[in-house]
Amino acid sequence: MEESPSTPILEGRGLLRTYRLGAVAVPALRGVDLAVAPSDFVVLRGPSGSGKTTLINLLGLLDRPDGGGVWLDGRSVAALDDDQLSDCRRDRFGFVFQTFNLVPVLTAAENVEYPMVLRHAPAALRRRRSRELLSRVGLEGKADVRPDLLSGGERQRVAIARALANDPEVVLADEPTASLDSRGAEGVLDLMQRLHEDRAVALVVSTHDPRVAGRARRVVTLVDGRVESST
Amino acid sequence: MTLFRLAARNVARNTRRSALTLGGVAVGFAAIAMAGGFVAQSFQALREGTIRGGTGHLQIADAAAFDGGPDASRDHPVVQAARVEALVAADPEVAVVLPRIEFVALVSSGSRSFPCVGTGVDPAGEARAMDAASSVVRGRWLADGGERGVVLGAGLAKALGVSPGDVVGMLSGTPERGLHSVRAVVAGIAALPFQELDDRAVFTTVDLAGELLAAPGEVSKLAVVLKDRADPAVVLERLLGTLRAAGLPLAGRTWRELAHFYRQVRLLYIGIFGFMGAVIVVVVLLAAANTMMMAASERTREVGTLRALGTRASRVRNLLIAEGLLLGIAGSVAGAALSLLLRLVLNHAGIVLPPPPGVARPVPLHIQLFPLAYAVGACVMTATLAAAAYVPARRAARRPIVEALAHV
Repeated sequence: MEESPSTPILEGRGLLRTYRLGAVAVPALRGVDLAVAPSDFVVLRGPSGSGKTTLINLLGLLDRPDGGGVWLDGRSVAALDDDQLSDCRRDRFGFVFQTFNLVPVLTAAENVEYPMVLRHAPAALRRRRSRELLSRVGLEGKADVRPDLLSGGERQRVAIARALANDPEVVLADEPTASLDSRGAEGVLDLMQRLHEDRAVALVVSTHDPRVAGRARRVVTLVDGRVESST
Repeated sequence: MTLFRLAARNVARNTRRSALTLGGVAVGFAAIAMAGGFVAQSFQALREGTIRGGTGHLQIADAAAFDGGPDASRDHPVVQAARVEALVAADPEVAVVLPRIEFVALVSSGSRSFPCVGTGVDPAGEARAMDAASSVVRGRWLADGGERGVVLGAGLAKALGVSPGDVVGMLSGTPERGLHSVRAVVAGIAALPFQELDDRAVFTTVDLAGELLAAPGEVSKLAVVLKDRADPAVVLERLLGTLRAAGLPLAGRTWRELAHFYRQVRLLYIGIFGFMGAVIVVVVLLAAANTMMMAASERTREVGTLRALGTRASRVRNLLIAEGLLLGIAGSVAGAALSLLLRLVLNHAGIVLPPPPGVARPVPLHIQLFPLAYAVGACVMTATLAAAAYVPARRAARRPIVEALAHV
């Protein structure tokens, strides 16, 4: 198992995941162990098809493994039903996707508010917090703008603000800079690092981008669904 | 951001598709509302035709007259008819009381004879409250004041070969099992709504009918026409109570109990328009299901994102169903506006329809404003859209999150 600096908040043990393409079984993960401690900054590297996104999906409770399991605060999530997994994601995780995945009919502020709506936070609190988060990601003037009027970098900033809305313990980011130009990517990386340092939130980022790896506390390299190295 | 607010934004997202769906719902709603209004108008015309065609709102007679055979009313006349008539007429909700003598007879023009079904009536009262007088197409209605006249159904007059002013003879059995005949002048010829009636009906005065039956002063039934908005069942119960208290234990029937034809036509109309409504619902359901399926399919990745952020599957499902509900509600509002507009246009277009069952003359098209049809239309269309959204909503909510996020 990968060693982490302190007691893991999130842990994957012996993770196996195989996808089926018709009659063909395609193994994506072949027994991966990974522990994430509070305030950790883990970068998952590896070529396309190495299993980075699959690992993020399993750790983020978006998918269930075929073998092994995920532990949250030392407790297995295997027995949780779909609603309980949804609640876990809402309360404890933040997600940042490669293609931003903002809800197009909501403004930037409403996108940030959405996870708080799911948590039944009062409207005044939601509004205040969404403005505060947007301000923190440098978008104070764009609160009422819909995503289609924002640049790629701005959209990803909104997505980062949304990921932090419910004050999660872990933010999982799947190729967060892949759809951005180099300037936008640098901006997003600076932001993520600053938020990680300021808010002591654990970050797990899958990436091809060497600039991301340079900022991480740990870099885990996956190849063919296995951990090849961890530094 | 409430569920319905988000649903409303999603509905507004694809304006062309939503407008098409709204159009379908609006047309479906309008079809239900217009058909409902037309049926309601037809039922009202049929009801009025039944009541004004001779049945009245109520009939009061000896109980045996209702339950016996064709001669029962002759064999069981109303006892103390004048007193009964006065008591009934005194009720505040009674408009007109019409004494009747029903009889069967043989009517003859000399060379030809036919059986007929006759009714002795109060000419002035009938002219005031019933349609028989206005159905006279040749000659005139009966006159008061001891006229020895008859009004014949047009079919019967044609068969007898008589015209207004000619003389006919009538022969009928008496209560003593004898035969009695009278002669009468043909005052008029009436076009009656049913062929069978047209070929057999004879109207004459109560006095001449009593003379024919050798039972002067007798009345076999009292037809009662009520004032507007009076409830026939309630008034009948009250009248029978009044008569019982006066030592006159008579029986009564409301027009609904007497009008078998009305009930049959009503069931037929409900069947026809119910089937039509079901077809409309199926068409709207299929069209809306297609729309909702496309809406859900196009937003697969978005649904995956919502689920990833912690949205429960049930909320995703409810969101899509709420979109269907909103389309149903908005479509119903548009449909109501369309119905009101169409109703206005059609009611002023001067369209004349062929006579409906039980009505003698063509009737102008009139679509009634029938709130129940609007309410049913709104409920049916909204429920149809929710049902159309259910399957795609359920499918979207149950789709694996990872698969949804990877959807292109």
